[in-house]
Amino acid sequence: MKRFLTPQGVIGFTLIVIIVAIGIFAPLIIPPDMATKMKMTMRLKPPSMGYPFGTDQLGRDIFFRVLLGAHTSLGIAGAAVAISVLIGLPLGIISGYARGAVDNVLMRIVDTLLSFPALLLALTISAMLGPSIPNTIIAIGIAFTPFLARIIRGEALRVSAMPYVEAARAAGTNDAAMIWRHILPNVLPLVIVQATISLAFAILAEAGLSFLGLGTQPPNSSWGLMIQASRDYLDVAPWTALAPGAAVALTVLALNMFGDVLRDVLDPRAQ
Amino acid sequence: MTAATAMQPAEGRPIIKVSGLRVEFQTDDGMVAGVKDVSFEIQPGETLCVVGESGSGKSVTSLSILRLIEFGGGRIAAGSLEFARGSGEVIDLAKAEPDVMQGIRGNEIGMIFQEPMTSLNPVFTIERQLTDGLKRHRGLTGEDARGRALELLREVRIPEPERRLTQYPHELSGGMRQRIVIAMAMACRPRLLIADEPTTALDVTIQAEILGLIDRLKRENGMAVLFITHDMAVVAQMADRVVVMYRGDVVEEGPVRDIFEQPREAYTKALLAAVPKLGEMRDKPAPEPMRILGDETLRAAAPPPAICTRREPLLTVKNLTTRFPVKGGLMRRTVANVHAVEDVSFQLAKGATLSLVGESGCGKSTCGRSILRLVEAESGEIQLDGWNVRGLSRLDLRHARRDMQMVFQDPFASLNPYRRLLDQVAEPLVNFGLASGSELHDRVAHLFDRVELPRSFLRRFPHELSGGQRQRVAIARALAPNPKLIVADESVSALDVSVQAQVLNLLMELQADLGLSFLFISHDMAVVERVSHNVAVMYLGRIVEIGPRAAVFENPRHAYTRSLLDAVPIADPARRRPHDDRSFRPLSSPIFPVGAPVEPSSYDEVAPGHFVLRPLAAA
Amino acid sequence: MTYLLNRLFSIALTLWLISVITFAVTSVLPGDVAMMILGTQSNPTALAGLRQQLGLNDPLVAQYGRWIGGMLTGNFGHSLVFKEPIADLMAQKMKASALIVVMSMAIALICAVPLGVWAAVHRKKWQDTVSSSAALFGISLPDFFWGIVLILLFARMLGWFPSSGFTDPSVDFLGAIRHAFLPSLALGLGLMAHLTRVTRSTMTGILNQEFIRVARAKGLSEQSVVWSYGLRNAVGPIMTVAGLQVGYLFGSIIVVETLFNYTGMGWITYQALLNRDVPLIQTSVFFIAAVVMLTNFVVDLLYLLVDPRIRMQ
Repeated sequence: MKRFLTPQGVIGFTLIVIIVAIGIFAPLIIPPDMATKMKMTMRLKPPSMGYPFGTDQLGRDIFFRVLLGAHTSLGIAGAAVAISVLIGLPLGIISGYARGAVDNVLMRIVDTLLSFPALLLALTISAMLGPSIPNTIIAIGIAFTPFLARIIRGEALRVSAMPYVEAARAAGTNDAAMIWRHILPNVLPLVIVQATISLAFAILAEAGLSFLGLGTQPPNSSWGLMIQASRDYLDVAPWTALAPGAAVALTVLALNMFGDVLRDVLDPRAQ
Repeated sequence: MTAATAMQPAEGRPIIKVSGLRVEFQTDDGMVAGVKDVSFEIQPGETLCVVGESGSGKSVTSLSILRLIEFGGGRIAAGSLEFARGSGEVIDLAKAEPDVMQGIRGNEIGMIFQEPMTSLNPVFTIERQLTDGLKRHRGLTGEDARGRALELLREVRIPEPERRLTQYPHELSGGMRQRIVIAMAMACRPRLLIADEPTTALDVTIQAEILGLIDRLKRENGMAVLFITHDMAVVAQMADRVVVMYRGDVVEEGPVRDIFEQPREAYTKALLAAVPKLGEMRDKPAPEPMRILGDETLRAAAPPPAICTRREPLLTVKNLTTRFPVKGGLMRRTVANVHAVEDVSFQLAKGATLSLVGESGCGKSTCGRSILRLVEAESGEIQLDGWNVRGLSRLDLRHARRDMQMVFQDPFASLNPYRRLLDQVAEPLVNFGLASGSELHDRVAHLFDRVELPRSFLRRFPHELSGGQRQRVAIARALAPNPKLIVADESVSALDVSVQAQVLNLLMELQADLGLSFLFISHDMAVVERVSHNVAVMYLGRIVEIGPRAAVFENPRHAYTRSLLDAVPIADPARRRPHDDRSFRPLSSPIFPVGAPVEPSSYDEVAPGHFVLRPLAAA
Repeated sequence: MTYLLNRLFSIALTLWLISVITFAVTSVLPGDVAMMILGTQSNPTALAGLRQQLGLNDPLVAQYGRWIGGMLTGNFGHSLVFKEPIADLMAQKMKASALIVVMSMAIALICAVPLGVWAAVHRKKWQDTVSSSAALFGISLPDFFWGIVLILLFARMLGWFPSSGFTDPSVDFLGAIRHAFLPSLALGLGLMAHLTRVTRSTMTGILNQEFIRVARAKGLSEQSVVWSYGLRNAVGPIMTVAGLQVGYLFGSIIVVETLFNYTGMGWITYQALLNRDVPLIQTSVFFIAAVVMLTNFVVDLLYLLVDPRIRMQ
């Protein structure tokens, strides 16, 4: 527990808690029209007392838009990572535990999928399905699955070779019980670390997809979409891009910081 | 500014004098002193052994002399390390400047370490690694350096030295790598050689060669040797004087005969009592618990009937063969096989212990695993109390596993770090449906009592226990389904000597009380002598000699058994044997091409129950 | 020799799998291609006609066969959007992207490796904290954001580099570099941060190993120990990670090239996706995946040179 209390760990964790809280509670607390109310006379105003982050090209309050965007961006990223874990975890464990032909075939497919850049895969899937929030989630989720499956498979392989697994086998444990009692609990720490880091990448991916118009669509709003919308006004109103960009950066940074600390604490090799 | 004194060294001045050394580490739990107050000195031509168990600070002491401890986060908090240099100057290494230290390391003081497999840089050739020290200290380059490197290789008796120069470390065995590490340390003719557990990771025959090598180099060069070890038998072999350490302090020191014959301190006495000495079981008919100091409740093992061969066999193994495929070539076909276990046959009586002994790679572990079918044998018969083990279906095998259990070598890795100890010991009971609910809890609690662990440990996790305690948990888990056979695969090899003695005594007690049979797998001849009724010596997958313990130990007939027994260091300085550090003999490999003809093993019975393998056609 | 043959067979198999996956993703997923091109409100006759023209009514296996057969005979079809042979387009755009990928990797490696080693040597001291924090920050920003910042700074404010366009290097080398520089930097900064972290952790692991201690015990200078004994062992793992990152780069170019209007593979793939130009999508995606896979194969070969232990197997 002490090892969590590094400056990096504390800062990262605190930031994550704050950001997630914003993501969950902002839509409940902030009336939606705070972010959608257009005021053409207040277009592209720089940050001020009334508008902490300034206004965008339609006179909307960027501050509230960023806060509400957390919900969308985090929600999409979280759901996508959940999908990749849901598919990747059983795949990786079965591959690493069963080894042999099953492993060879599965990993051949996974390795081939890994030749496709994740962003490219996500973009293509999104484009073919038609961009929308659920499709963005599916696209990013599927794109991240191969990498996660491979990492989990490696860990499952390592755990399966441990003496305590052999001891359990000598004690008469069958395969299902083996996976539940021994493989899964020892693979889970790595999954937690990877999921945290994947979350960071998923937010970046959503931002990228939305930036290209193949992610979140208006009237929904996410950070990526906000950056995309601000492209034309960069010279005159850079804050329109900086605010959501900073939000992305801060969230991803917090996740990476905390992910690093998690890895230091949970890595079995360091114990 | 160095603290060098320009004194001329008087005659008989020690090469190194350590006074009041204190070394501290900054850890998460605050400042920890690895070494609290250590003092000793070493004369030229003398070997000083620093002996202790884990945590004694012996390694930290040796690393501090070369100031290597600082690269690992340590700090010399107090004390001095007076070293007499070749020039006559005496310098305090504790206060020397980094560039002075660099000039001394590998030059006037050489050091060799424990793990030969990782001591050499994997991506540089042997020549490069031998010569960069020469370049640094003697300015030798090119042909001169190469010539000197060849000389060094010859001095450490490495065969084919020219060939070695262009090779990489992974192409060489552990014993050869250690010789190269020694060559590197000797390159500039150091005045002091520090050896930090140099043979701990080596097989016993290789160990004997390396010890002989170090001894010869010492005599030829008149250097001082600081030898760190945990093995009292090695101390008896090598030391002129001994320093015993415990928890960072020196407990006792003196000439080696005094320490062994008249130890003064309680810790030294306890340490000596816990060490099994090869030869002390002579004239004893049966295994006996070790006499552990401070253990008043000494229980003698109930003596079993005199001759084991009269007892019914519990386990009969006939012509067991296990091979592993080596894949390669196009499409990953099997190109060769490793003959890990080849035509092995033996019997184990009820309530008795048969030891499988041999060096690494002889197949003893694979044999144990094959019997439990943790690894599938290729052919042969295994009869356990009426079960035909190899013929069992998977379902029946699970039931048969109630009767045969295993205790593994690594106490840290044989327990799941994320499960409570109670659950892990209960696992066999749960699997076989032998108990549930409160009855389960009671049974596990009784098992903990049996292995002398407090019941409060039931709810703990493995990382909260020490190595010896974890091994007791592993034993409890093996006992849970009331097995008839327990395979102990190097179960005490990873434990400190005093803990090892306790665990061995526990195993012998359990055998006496429960009538358990043990298949005891080990490389440690002295331990095997203590615990076995019968002994089987293995080499390259075959049993080369098998028989009652007394017969095999006192009258070894196979050449390999003899060389093994010759190589074992005896924990008695009066019985020192000069070791020939003849050059490394290449081991025959157990790898054969697919379809190669393999001879069956056949034996001569040289005495009742005592069998020796006849020579094979292709040696 | 057998190793090479094994690998070639493996490559062929993987290429085939890549083609299957590409085809699956672009054809099997729901979504009527004809409708996407003409719009949902279009005249049903026109839709039917387009479907016929594109061969969408044939069984999937036949469509796949046609596509594969075409590729094997060198006929990559025509782009619906650009009205040009796809083969020509691929060649041009791949050249452009290769330029920025190589440049960004070079920039990243040259800066990241020394920085990572420096951080590892001074572990837990201020040098490590500063560089690790900077690296952490670097991987947390999306590439396109770096791109926007670079455009604002170097193109708009300072005017040193153009903010868009592409020039063929064989035509005008210097101009090509000028156009490629900012996109390469946008790609390279995030990569640099990641590689710094990887170098740092690899070096830390290596410096804890026994042979480093043995090298010090020989009296070698700390400089020699770190840069000669240490770094030489890190080359392999760092190279492997860099190879994997090439895959990641080929994903990022879609965004970065679009941002900079740099007409490479990423730019054209995006255009294809936007316009549902299925033949172009299929071939672009296939080529990108193939290039990534071959890059990793080359890295594996290079690893043989770097690590003598692998050579022997």
